[in-house]
Amino acid sequence: MHRVWVVLLKEWREALKGGKILWVGTVALPMILLGASVYMMLSIGDLSALDDEDLRLVLHTLFSVFLLYFMLFPMIIPNAISVYAIMSEKEQKSLEPLLATPLQTWELFLAKVLSAVIPAVLITWTTFGVFVILVSRMLPAGVWAMIWQDFGVAALLTLVLFAPLASVFVTMTSMAIATRTSDARSAQLLSSFVVLPLALWALASIYQNALLQPANLLGLSLLLLGLDLLLLKISVKLFRREEILTRWR
Amino acid sequence: MATCAILAEDLSRHFDGRIAVDRLSLEVSEGEVFGFLGPNGAGKTTTVRMLAGLLAPTGGRARIAGVDVIADPQRVRSLVGVLTESPGLYEKLSVWQNLKFYADLYRLAHSTQSLQIERYLKLFELWERCEDAVSTLSKGMKQKLALARALLHDPKVLFLDEPTAGLDPEAAKTVRELVAELSQERRTIFLCTHNLYEAEQLCDRIGLIKQRLLKVGTPTELKRELYGHQIVVDLKNPLESLDSQLDLPFIRELRVDQTRLFLSVENPQEQNPLLVRRLVELGAEIQFVREADRSLEDVYLQLMTSPLQKQRPFAPTEEVR
Repeated sequence: MHRVWVVLLKEWREALKGGKILWVGTVALPMILLGASVYMMLSIGDLSALDDEDLRLVLHTLFSVFLLYFMLFPMIIPNAISVYAIMSEKEQKSLEPLLATPLQTWELFLAKVLSAVIPAVLITWTTFGVFVILVSRMLPAGVWAMIWQDFGVAALLTLVLFAPLASVFVTMTSMAIATRTSDARSAQLLSSFVVLPLALWALASIYQNALLQPANLLGLSLLLLGLDLLLLKISVKLFRREEILTRWR
Repeated sequence: MATCAILAEDLSRHFDGRIAVDRLSLEVSEGEVFGFLGPNGAGKTTTVRMLAGLLAPTGGRARIAGVDVIADPQRVRSLVGVLTESPGLYEKLSVWQNLKFYADLYRLAHSTQSLQIERYLKLFELWERCEDAVSTLSKGMKQKLALARALLHDPKVLFLDEPTAGLDPEAAKTVRELVAELSQERRTIFLCTHNLYEAEQLCDRIGLIKQRLLKVGTPTELKRELYGHQIVVDLKNPLESLDSQLDLPFIRELRVDQTRLFLSVENPQEQNPLLVRRLVELGAEIQFVREADRSLEDVYLQLMTSPLQKQRPFAPTEEVR
């Protein structure tokens, strides 16, 4: 794992100097959505005036939207990083010298995946943590306890299962697209479509009041796990040394 | 006795039915600088990739410092240094960070890393720029940095793929000088190049490849083998029908150009006196007799170009010593 860590650190060093697109994708967007979530939660007036049933209805609707935001982070953040991780190597023609070292291709692959997944998951968890702290302190007493009682399981499933699995899914798909694309913009554009089916599913679930159902989240996570395993199989082929040297253009 | 640093036996590589390298066999001794010449698409880079453990051969076998490239490519990659055709550096990282990254990949001990990086940056006159981003370096500096990267782990065999391609003459000269310095350290160097002058200057032996290995030898051997000893005789005045009268059996490829004769002989020590005597008998007034120096370019073109061109005994633009 030593070499995985070495490549991972290099990826992050490079990503930190990667320019506006990376910063917008990884930091600015989560900050905006977090700000919007907190603002929405606090701008709905006097919650203590509502009876329990109405309060639950309002919170359910709001929390569905917030959860959708937190589901978007692990889908949006790795996209920019993973495309960059492949395209920058291709543009700099740095793959051959890298492959000429004792580095194994699985180490390279794992480092590339982790370099996108770890920030995506950590940013999702951090923003959720900040959201919880802000909202729990600003809401009237007892309301947060009610939210956590009703939606705690869904939130945990989203953070612990969905976020890593969705990040891995988006990362591997974006990387696969980037290996077959000759310029970064096309890769970015094509890979952004990957997020659409998941985002649309989540959006549709809000309207059917189904997003916060633990069973639905569990089902979606299992589906993602299956897709991740399928993508892993494809990625193993794409990341063969010969494939990288002769077919990545 | 010199041990074998590179051994290839019937090494072949096909890509989707296309032959890139065909049954290549060669041996390179430890400490030797071996030049690998061939036109674009001749299989030079593919050969390097196979020998360096990057690509698996489709046939044959190869060993680097005794390690089988098919059985243990990872170990082979730890034994060799590769300078690829383009430097392939991380442009946004600093000079130091680039080398540190590779030092970590080769798992150099922390105590050694800084010493090695400093040593090569100083040797290649990049020390002053070690904190600068690679994107700010000139092309020649980047090539030197890539060379430093290839040497960082003190490889037993160094593969250099077109090390001076695309460099201005000054930078190319610097890189050539560095390679010459490295050869003094008795490193085994496998140098792929289009630059015949470079090959002639730097290499102990040269292999000419066009999918198959056409010839291997020292530059002198290659020239001798293809052309024999080439003699140039300058006469004071032209002689009529000299080419038909000069009927000595040992003369090969005679050509007369006004007052200058170009011919090949096998054994100049024995045959030149006979040649001179015969010319004097024919009434020639000899001004100079000397051996022509075939350039490696002549050898290269002779082997690489079409059979029709091969028949030409002398190029009109040849250099004469």
